[in-house]
Amino acid sequence: MAIVASAQRGTRRILARADAWMNRLYGWRFNPLYHSGALVVALLLVVLVTGIYLLFFYRIGAPFASVARITDQVWLGRWIRGLHRYASDAAVVAALVHALRLFAQGRSWGPRTLAWVSGLVLLFTVFICGWTGYVMVWDVQGEVLARAGARLLDVLPIFSEPISRTFVGERPIPGAFFFLNLFAHIAIPIGLGLVVWLHVSRVARPALLPSRKLMWGVIGLLVALSLFWPVAMGPPADLFRLPAPAPFDWFYAFWVPLARPLSTGFVWAVTLAVAAATLLAPLWTRPARAARPPASWVDERLCTGCEQCYQDCPYDAIEMVERTENVKAGASATVARVDAGACVSCGICAGSCAPMGVGPPGRTGRDQLSRVQAFVAARRPGAKDVVIVGCDRGAGGIAAGESFHGALVYPVSCAGSLHTSVIEYLLRAGAGGVLVVSCPARDCWNREGPKWLEQRVYHKREAELRERVDRRRVRLAHAAVGETGGVVAELEAFRALLAELEAAPREAEFDVVRECDTAPEEAAR
Amino acid sequence: MTPLARRTTAIALALGSTLAIGALSRAPYTADRAAHGVVRLAWRARGERVEECRRLTPEELERLPAHMRQEESCEGRVLPYRLQLSIDGARVVDELVQAAGARHDRPLYVYRELTLQPGAHAIAVVFAREGAIPPGEREASEGTPPRLALDTTVALLSRRVLLVTYDDDARRLVLRDGSP
Repeated sequence: MAIVASAQRGTRRILARADAWMNRLYGWRFNPLYHSGALVVALLLVVLVTGIYLLFFYRIGAPFASVARITDQVWLGRWIRGLHRYASDAAVVAALVHALRLFAQGRSWGPRTLAWVSGLVLLFTVFICGWTGYVMVWDVQGEVLARAGARLLDVLPIFSEPISRTFVGERPIPGAFFFLNLFAHIAIPIGLGLVVWLHVSRVARPALLPSRKLMWGVIGLLVALSLFWPVAMGPPADLFRLPAPAPFDWFYAFWVPLARPLSTGFVWAVTLAVAAATLLAPLWTRPARAARPPASWVDERLCTGCEQCYQDCPYDAIEMVERTENVKAGASATVARVDAGACVSCGICAGSCAPMGVGPPGRTGRDQLSRVQAFVAARRPGAKDVVIVGCDRGAGGIAAGESFHGALVYPVSCAGSLHTSVIEYLLRAGAGGVLVVSCPARDCWNREGPKWLEQRVYHKREAELRERVDRRRVRLAHAAVGETGGVVAELEAFRALLAELEAAPREAEFDVVRECDTAPEEAAR
Repeated sequence: MTPLARRTTAIALALGSTLAIGALSRAPYTADRAAHGVVRLAWRARGERVEECRRLTPEELERLPAHMRQEESCEGRVLPYRLQLSIDGARVVDELVQAAGARHDRPLYVYRELTLQPGAHAIAVVFAREGAIPPGEREASEGTPPRLALDTTVALLSRRVLLVTYDDDARRLVLRDGSP
């Protein structure tokens, strides 16, 4: 497992650099690396729409001739076919980036196992779909793919007749073969829809499409590519000649040169080994039992039944149930309950609970207040000090240190789990300002942390930052782990603003217990 | 990096990535670069099905449900064939071809490819049944003949495939080169 952890760290380092670079070029909102999963869906939709058009012109009785005719349609068919193909290729790239990110971020085990496994199934079916698509064309590439696939499938004892016999030239290739191939090419995408649903079934509010600008930008580029560099036809398949040189799509045919010189048994063994290794990633990427973060829990004595944690949970891991314990006058009829099997221990619920009654053990709002109290006692932030609350997984990678460019650093596991009382506490303790640096919104490991944080600070979302807190002394910023420079710029800009303010007031005493215990009554009001 | 440089780099990267997708989508590949020719042996033969029957003992019948008690139990199989191929007088293939299926009761399938240098070659193919039909059983008239043979000289062209196959109508092995 040390090798896996090392591979994850290495991949994270590479991704951190790539993310930082892409953020500089496109901004975090349009960084395609952050939107890789949603881009797959958008690209598959493009493939679906263009495929419907192509279907009208495809003839199973004359596959090559009909595709050649489509390609000869200069105004429509040619670029639609090109877009169909290029979008399929780009979908493979986006899917691989998406899988790599989740592997590197360790988001492939526990409650995320279903998403990981269904994602791999999706990728596999996309490959099969592409394979059948190229056979449909029945040019040299289609023939080579068909023969290579048949060679592998003939090893399986499930066919009454070897499939390879279809391609020996003994008789013309039956129309039934192309009909079955077309049927598979159409039926598989229908199945894909179901797997996509499974893939996102354990997340709340799945973002199925990327931001519009990015989506249309990518589609526009692919349309331009199809217009100015249209796909060409290879020579027609000829079973009585060795395959002629032909253009191959390496996104789908990469395995052909690898598999051709090897025995079918070896190819199957390698394929099954790779499939098993990736499918079992949830087992070998999960931390040791003792190191696994515990699921959230609810203190029903404090729960007011407000449903905020239920609404904010990015994994639909919280449900509202009838109260059976602590039933007393004034208590809510329902309480929140965490499904430990669905909880990834992100702690977002801890930031959503005004009375601080929910969260992972050790990271509830009350725990956060205790911790910040210790922080203040130890570091004693002054009126000229800025405290940077930095997300462990982003924030320019500064959360590991105690200070950064003269500012005190207060690390949190996720900015979305930060209870706003912590910000208030820091300011009332005398800090000149609090700069909360989260991951870019589309790269939050817990999906919705920065979104909820912003709403809690500026838009009165429960548990909101109290009105009495001077918003001029609070600043929210995004930075990926490799964007240290961005944090410096934010810090300098914030300091410049703070310099124009009067000296920050400091309250003499704090009673954390009182802060917590008055919360249920306030929430109820 | 100035805003102009950043924008230029962003556009260049987007275009470069798009072009890379286009290039990888059409990279030329030759699945087989050799100048040789190929002799392909491929056919399907129905073969001769034989059945071996025995009478069940009363104890065996007793163990079966009432509606399944048939006194005779038969298992059928298709007799294997021996495939021999000689090229220019040298034996290159000599193997037993079993009928397909777990019980060898499906047709026989032959599929072999051999690479040869272009030019004239003497090819001799023999596909002969092994094993005898049990006494009392008649050879099926529509089955593959017990012995098929092809002995000929062919001119094999570079990168071309010559197919030896079984013509079910003529009931003999034939040569095909893809010409109509």
